[in-house]
Amino acid sequence: MAESSPTPPASSPVPLDDKRASFEREALVHLDVLYRVALRLTGNPSDADDLVQETMLKAYRAWEQYEQGTNAKAWLLTILRHAFINEYRRRTRHPETVDVDTIEPFAVFSEVQDEDPQGAFFDKIVDDQVLQAIDQLPVAFRETLVLSDVEGMSYQEIAGILQVPVGTVKSRLFRARQLLQGKLYDYAVEMGYIKGTPA
Amino acid sequence: MNCRECVEHLYEFLDRELTPELERELREHLEDCPPCGEQYDFEELFLKFLRARCKTQGAPAELKKRVLRELFGE
Repeated sequence: MAESSPTPPASSPVPLDDKRASFEREALVHLDVLYRVALRLTGNPSDADDLVQETMLKAYRAWEQYEQGTNAKAWLLTILRHAFINEYRRRTRHPETVDVDTIEPFAVFSEVQDEDPQGAFFDKIVDDQVLQAIDQLPVAFRETLVLSDVEGMSYQEIAGILQVPVGTVKSRLFRARQLLQGKLYDYAVEMGYIKGTPA
Repeated sequence: MNCRECVEHLYEFLDRELTPELERELREHLEDCPPCGEQYDFEELFLKFLRARCKTQGAPAELKKRVLRELFGE
């Protein structure tokens, strides 16, 4: 590899140094977000690494198409999700056969309202257990919940990334949260953190 | 707004995604209805708990190096 600085190709609309600087400033700063989402989608660190790597490569190649100063995080997550669907989903998970939009939510609050209305039992549940419960959710719920509850994105942003109507985001988020609560509640009952009756 | 509608919109309220009008109606309902108020507290706590439990993980340093190497050859 030559030590002299490379000359940008004639066809390149921006000098490479500028491209790199803007990519570092606007895209690479979201590496943690991409990794967290990738980890929940793929379910393991090695596939998450590969997915993030592939996302960054695709994003860098397409960087000229990104309108600077707009929502780089959402743009990157859209790329990540496409990459996941195309290359990882079939390989790492079995295709889902349930229609997620018909899953009935389970109201945990009504189960605990006498015994523990403050939800103190949640505090006893450790990180790993929560992540494991999230990983058991159907992927359509998992991705919605992670984008909202872990990454704090708006319904509009999530709808854009997942390419579904805002109403679908709303209803999936509702069901995802209730389903997750149900799983954590069952776990808490099993562990004796709360008396209750498992769902 | 009745209790059923209140519970239905509770998450949207917590996510600050309601229209100003619905938000005002829900707020008024919560003030007048202690059981819904309790559920509001419960769901709010759940969302905070969820965020706190999931936010700790960042990309491994090795991955960052790998991405930089792949993109810029370093």
